[in-house]
Amino acid sequence: MRIGQDSILGLFFAVTGCIALWISVQYPFGTAGRMGPGYFPVIVSSLLVLTGIGVLVRSIAASGDAFPEINWKALIMVPAAVVVFGLAIEPLGFLPAVLLLLVLSAATSIKFKLDWKAAVGALVFAGLCTVLFIQLIGLPMPVLGTWLQ
Amino acid sequence: MDIFNGLLLGFSTATTFGNFLYCFLGVLLGTAVGVLPGLGPIATISMLLPFTFGLPVDTALIMLAGIFYGSQYGGSTTAILMNLPGEASSVVTTLDGHEMAKQGKAGRALAAAAIGSFFAGTVGTLFIAVSAPLLASLALTFGPAEYFSLIVLGLITSMVLASGSLLTAFGMALFGVMLGMIGTDVNSGAARFTFGTPNLLDGLDFVVVATGVFGLGDVIANLENEKSRSAGLAQVSSLFPTREDWKRMAAPILRGTGIGVLLGVLPGAGVLLASFSAYALEKKVSRHSAEFGKGAIEGVAAPEAANNAAAQTCFIPMLTLGLPGTATMALMIGALVVQGVQPGPEILTQQPALFWGLVVSMWLGNLMLLFLNLPLVGVWAKLISVPYHYLFPMISVFVAIGVYSINNSVFDVYMMALFGVLGYFFKKVGAEPAPLILAMILGPMAEEYLRRALLISHGDASVFFTSPLSLGTLIVAALLLLSIVSPRFRKVREEGLQEAD
Repeated sequence: MRIGQDSILGLFFAVTGCIALWISVQYPFGTAGRMGPGYFPVIVSSLLVLTGIGVLVRSIAASGDAFPEINWKALIMVPAAVVVFGLAIEPLGFLPAVLLLLVLSAATSIKFKLDWKAAVGALVFAGLCTVLFIQLIGLPMPVLGTWLQ
Repeated sequence: MDIFNGLLLGFSTATTFGNFLYCFLGVLLGTAVGVLPGLGPIATISMLLPFTFGLPVDTALIMLAGIFYGSQYGGSTTAILMNLPGEASSVVTTLDGHEMAKQGKAGRALAAAAIGSFFAGTVGTLFIAVSAPLLASLALTFGPAEYFSLIVLGLITSMVLASGSLLTAFGMALFGVMLGMIGTDVNSGAARFTFGTPNLLDGLDFVVVATGVFGLGDVIANLENEKSRSAGLAQVSSLFPTREDWKRMAAPILRGTGIGVLLGVLPGAGVLLASFSAYALEKKVSRHSAEFGKGAIEGVAAPEAANNAAAQTCFIPMLTLGLPGTATMALMIGALVVQGVQPGPEILTQQPALFWGLVVSMWLGNLMLLFLNLPLVGVWAKLISVPYHYLFPMISVFVAIGVYSINNSVFDVYMMALFGVLGYFFKKVGAEPAPLILAMILGPMAEEYLRRALLISHGDASVFFTSPLSLGTLIVAALLLLSIVSPRFRKVREEGLQEAD
């Protein structure tokens, strides 16, 4: 069995379904006329497990598409940049957080060069965002966070 | 309220300074977003949704709607001029539109698209004005069984129309339903799938998932092909269609509008299906079918009319029944619910200004677009040459700010990052996320209606089959499922969805 698109997806569905099913059976099931909180989840997660198995079977039976190349750099850096934003926004504030997110996500591109033009551009953009979101739209976020006050 | 008075109310609502301005902003932004590949109306609407909470509800909806149908216009501009479809539904326009541009007829192609879209938009708006009150009064007779069956139809339609295998789409829909069940169960108060964290007691915010999967997921995926998009820009000379053009455009526009109006109302279908079907129909029916693919003006006018008509009428099930037909409509519902407006048959009586104001502003928006697009063609062309590596960090910033601003919660930001990873994963395994997003909204609704229907009937499941409307809906859903099995339909579906990829 080749590790292809279908086998990974089938595995994903099956595993997620199993976990969901395991959790769902712990909720009271109830009857058809009086559905408990577990009724629908049990049905849906069972179907999900079955679908996952179906997709896995399909991956063995037919030759599906191979799993395409993963761009690990983008996959790790872009979400990481967003996480950094989340970590930074309260202690450091809006402006530094936006700056960090901007620079870190831009660094993912192969065309990124850490030169003064990029730095100035990033500062200008972060400044514009501050004006737009904090002043004009009025979002309740501190421009500089608790560490910097 | 009858249609005439409704339209009058709508006019007075839509032409207030604020609403007019936001309508203009919406269509402008929508066109820009439609022009830019890599940024779509769903991602944009998700991004802007949190920011609309501060606006009055009718203004918010007017702007968001403007973004949506504006993006249909924008997508066709670049499709014609640069062979780059800004939106999936514009792919079909590239086939003949760019050919016309290469033959020096770019202006006439653009005009055909704009005129077709405007006509379709007008008809679509009229259709909403006429049919929504009818549908709303019909919907007042709907019980939970009918709603449940309609939801099942919507989910099945979206699965049948998702590219890739039906089984995969089914899995995505189920996964979406599971995601929708995270949180506190309304009926019993039990906390489901919360893993002990209080952040999940209210469930996953739909915007967080949508922006993660569509916005961030797209960014990560687009970083894979970073070759520069230097596309040749066709010259635009005369913008006026010739008399011959008018004669040839007329019937395709009418047919395209008809298809678009009908397919837009069907839950689960949408603008993409409308434009493809209109092109396919036109090719079969036209006298000039040999020219299709080589610059037939019918091949531009029909799909453009269809996708714009569908963009208008897909609001109908959302507004009158509270059932979103597509992921974008699910977002609109989110915008309404957060403002305390419950979409459904009551909306015409409880919020007439909102409904009629939206209807009229859609027509006004189409008018603005007609005059905006043609003169601003040069501007849009410049916009598209902004390199992606400048654009995507800005997109990342906007989505992060938007998601954080929903609840000032960093948990939401982390969740969005997680869903960005998931969105990329789904792209890689060939699973289309649209059924997931739709199911996340429709799933909990389905559970609620199922529960109510069975409660009322004391556990008797035949209630879904004894009601004529419910039975009819379920039969249509079953037919759709069966059609997948028929080899001829499979071929058509594969061809159509293949072009979309």
